[in-house]
Amino acid sequence: MKDTRNSPEIEIAGLSKVFGAGASAFTALSDIDLTIAPGEFFTLLGPSGCGKTTLLRVIAGFEQPSDGSLRINAQEVAGKGPNARPVNTVFQNYALFPHMSVAQNIGFGLKMLGRARSEIDATVDEMLALVQMAHLADRKPAEISGGQQQRVALARALAPRPRVLLLDEPLSALDLKLRKGMQSELKRLQGETGITFVFVTHDQEEALTMSDRIAVMSEGRILQTGTPHEIYHRPRERFVADFIGDTNFLEVEVAEADGAAAQVKLPGGALHSARLPGGLRPGAGARVTVVIRPEQAQLVAPGQGVLAATVEKSVFFGTDTHVHLHLEGGAPFILRRQNTGAMPEPDPGSAVGLALAEGALQVVGD
Amino acid sequence: MAEPRESHRWKWLLCAPALTILVLAASGPLLIVLVYSFLTPGNMGGVIWEFSTEGWFRVFFRRDIFDPADVSLNTAHLTILWRSVWLSLQTTVICAVLGFPTAWFIATRPANTRTVWLFLITIPFWTNLLIRTFAIQELIRNSGTINTLLIWAGVIDAPIQMLFSEFAILLGMAYVFLPLMVLPLYAAMDKLDFRLVEAGYDLYASRLQVLRHVILPLVKPGFIAGSILVFIPSIGAYVTPRVLGGGRTLMLGNLIDLQFGQGRNWPLGAALAITLLVIVVAALLFYLRTLNREEGPRHG
Repeated sequence: MKDTRNSPEIEIAGLSKVFGAGASAFTALSDIDLTIAPGEFFTLLGPSGCGKTTLLRVIAGFEQPSDGSLRINAQEVAGKGPNARPVNTVFQNYALFPHMSVAQNIGFGLKMLGRARSEIDATVDEMLALVQMAHLADRKPAEISGGQQQRVALARALAPRPRVLLLDEPLSALDLKLRKGMQSELKRLQGETGITFVFVTHDQEEALTMSDRIAVMSEGRILQTGTPHEIYHRPRERFVADFIGDTNFLEVEVAEADGAAAQVKLPGGALHSARLPGGLRPGAGARVTVVIRPEQAQLVAPGQGVLAATVEKSVFFGTDTHVHLHLEGGAPFILRRQNTGAMPEPDPGSAVGLALAEGALQVVGD
Repeated sequence: MAEPRESHRWKWLLCAPALTILVLAASGPLLIVLVYSFLTPGNMGGVIWEFSTEGWFRVFFRRDIFDPADVSLNTAHLTILWRSVWLSLQTTVICAVLGFPTAWFIATRPANTRTVWLFLITIPFWTNLLIRTFAIQELIRNSGTINTLLIWAGVIDAPIQMLFSEFAILLGMAYVFLPLMVLPLYAAMDKLDFRLVEAGYDLYASRLQVLRHVILPLVKPGFIAGSILVFIPSIGAYVTPRVLGGGRTLMLGNLIDLQFGQGRNWPLGAALAITLLVIVVAALLFYLRTLNREEGPRHG
């Protein structure tokens, strides 16, 4: 865990961004509060149009906030231009200068900062080595591949040694294999440079595998901030649970509630414990939604377990098989089990029981 | 195999109409001009079919009327030659300086209003060049609009002599050729990826540095096209210097006109016309070669 008691790298409080005015005004960001620690790999995750790129552009300085404060390294930067902030951006389309060579692109920031030629040359060589592009230093961006352009864009943004590196969906234009390679490359670069990374993506898997912490955004708001583990296992809202991973939602009735835990009555009448997110305190008898991840349910013999279900079909995914079920009462349910070869696939139409892992149920707000 | 080759063989026929016009209408007259430049002038104009290099000789030199052996440099011709080049260069620079912000303004408007601005730029083309030039004359002559207003406002006592000067020619040519600079510049800026401008700012460049290191290099093709489009008609300009320069400030176009008219020296006129052509081609080649050589050093 990162030590967040250090003075934060980025501190955003009550920030909002409204485009246009009057009747055509559009609120892109509303009431954003966010603290990012030094050296953190922080991800803004959400569907397209959720405001994550706008938030990144506000941090970069391309857009000015309509309201609220934005501090980078304890300095208020709202109102300052992008050239007056210790942050650099890796653009989604890379935005490499087409008329400059790879080396000139990487050296541009230092040149604009007025550094000595010898220092620029040394840093450019260092960056070229860091992203393994030394052999292509004199090529133009149009003469190298998309993956190589990506590395150059990274090197160009890292060369001035910014406090914060902003990455706007930098991997979305790469094919799957390159993307996997660049994911670990990014993690390596962040480890070697110690620079704070703020990463924007709509790919939940990318966010889970790479981030120290994730902020899930929707419609201009941050719904939840937490470690990948917290976001996955303790979603606070239905949207978060739905956006991250495969999820089963069940409507249940609260039997009794006590602090952060509750007993809920499952379809079929069995009682099971469920965690409550902070701030949600339903009373006994209330209808709530619970989340069950597909891998936290197990097939057992009919009549056993806490839920009864009928098998609809099985879908083979190599390492896993997804079993599509109908619960007693008709609700659909997907169960995932690893293909260890120990168990035969259930026949469609057969009745089964479902056992749930301890702590599998998480109550979410709507 | 035979079929594509067959069709390929006949494809050049598609060029035939354009080629015919180009050869007949451009190369033909050019050849006639070239031939005429080596003939002897007729007394009442026209040419006598007798070989002579006198026309070419007189482009640069002149003979004493009483002693044809007394040869001196034709400073009048050289002055006009230099003036044509110099005024055209100035026109090109003025158009570039005025055209850049104009094109930038248009290129940064919302897409749906750009057409309106472009449309406004082309409005002067609706009126005949001669009429527009006389309109400028009306504006700047001694009893014209500007002088009348200035005297009426008490700014000046006597009219400022603006007409029949190099200033008047520059004003007229810059006015006439400005759209030819704005349009190619706009075309280049329209293709400019504005995220590159953001990338420049992000990498600590100031506004001026973004202009110099990012925008200008990327719209260079527009500048090249615009400069060529302005310089070439400027150096051969005829109507503008005639109307606004009066008889005093001749340019090459007027000098050539003079030889075919009052001067009755067609071979000299033809030689001058070819001299103009050579200047234009030489200037173009020089310009393009300088631009191509401009490849900076490694981190330049």
